[in-house]
Amino acid sequence: MEIRFADCSIHYGETVALHPLDLVLTERRIGVIGLNGSGKTTFARAINGLVKPSRGHVTVNGLDTSEDGPAVLGTVGFIFQNPQNQLILPIVADDIALGLKSRGVAKAEVAARVEGILMRFGIEHLARRRVHALSGGETQLVAMASVLVTEPDILILDEPTNQLDLKNRKRVIDTLAGLDEAAIVVSHDLSLIESFERVLLFHEGRLIADGMPGDVVKAYEAVALC
Amino acid sequence: MLKSLHVEGTTLLHRLSVRTKLAVLFAASLAVFLTVDPFVLGGAVLLSALVFATVGVSFSQAVSRLAWPLVSIGLVAGATAFFETPVHGLVVLFRFATLILLAATVTASTEVGDFMEEITRLMMPFERLGLVNAADIGLALGLVLRFVPEIATRYESLREAHAARGLPVRPLKMLAPLIILTLKDADMIAMAIDARGLRRH
Ligand SMILES: Nc1ncnc2c1ncn2[C@@H]1O[C@H](COP(=O)(O)OP(=O)(O)OP(=O)(O)O)[C@@H](O)[C@H]1O
Ligand SMILES: [Mg+2]
Repeated sequence: MEIRFADCSIHYGETVALHPLDLVLTERRIGVIGLNGSGKTTFARAINGLVKPSRGHVTVNGLDTSEDGPAVLGTVGFIFQNPQNQLILPIVADDIALGLKSRGVAKAEVAARVEGILMRFGIEHLARRRVHALSGGETQLVAMASVLVTEPDILILDEPTNQLDLKNRKRVIDTLAGLDEAAIVVSHDLSLIESFERVLLFHEGRLIADGMPGDVVKAYEAVALC
Repeated sequence: MLKSLHVEGTTLLHRLSVRTKLAVLFAASLAVFLTVDPFVLGGAVLLSALVFATVGVSFSQAVSRLAWPLVSIGLVAGATAFFETPVHGLVVLFRFATLILLAATVTASTEVGDFMEEITRLMMPFERLGLVNAADIGLALGLVLRFVPEIATRYESLREAHAARGLPVRPLKMLAPLIILTLKDADMIAMAIDARGLRRH
């Protein structure tokens, strides 16, 4: 996998959410940290093209997010900060099937793949449950399943352990550890990213540290406490 | 609290195909306009209320689902009675009450996913004529059915927030924050639909 930011900046009206950024990402596990409002979500959304650069380019495996939108969306799966809103159909299995159906996958194959992904996540028992009646941890796992069933190469998770209790947090971390896909994880939960290959620190819309988790976390503590 | 328009169950109505239910609803909506006899229409209201009762919606649930639609047609019927004749008002009331009860029966006994599939299928001929995108219409309908109850949930939490701060709870005052919250969520949901690639372009 290769994600490339080339002189990319992002504005929301007057607010500069991301200052011009040049960056190449190839690692399998990348963490993104920073204070509230530092631009993490904006950065993450730029990767799958939900937010387009105001200037410059973002490419994923050579696909430009501004020009090849649908192809990028097929390559990069995204789990939102509030995954409840991402589940569209009220029954878990139906919702997971939806992404496949809208891609024109045949009925028999849909059923098999839905079952496969439920098994992979160890949540077969949730198949017929209603999405509004799931716990936070279950919602997170179902959202991950509903995205991964369409086989993206890269998965972005925006604060996946936010609001989870210790047990569900561990489940999400274990699931994450077992993923074959590359993952970019935005998190305030620093222990979640401590084993990652690379961590990025954003501050006021700028990338101010980039490297091994230990060093970047130290830099984060320095900006957070001053 | 109303969390889902669908009611769990295995009643006859749950087992009927979506197509049959929609066809009956469609036929009924034509039929109620074929007569102006308030007795016949009153019978239709009773009949559809009985049908609705078989789906297994509890009484309090039934009230929370039907109260607002019935109040609004009550107003229209009242106006009709005032400007035309009381019998006219009654006819309007009975016609729409019948339809609301039948429509509520269909939504309560049908899974959103099945609904979406059937609507998408029904829209296919129009898609072939180049008039619509069938999958989009199915998706739009599914979204309405899935997220309308969430608006009720949100209203409830706004009400609690007001009460907790000792502020008077006035439904009209809550309208603005409710709309803003709903639009914000709608934005997120739209983004999620794009992110999940649920629409083919
Ligand atoms: N849709 C928007 N319109 C206007 N400004 C926005 C929008 N989204 C984000 N911003 C602004 O851009 C900046 C970066 O926001 P972003 O959501 O990327 O931060 P974040 O690091 O994800 O924060 P948090 O940790 O709170 O989730 C903030 O100043 C925010 O107010
Ligand atoms: Mg964020």
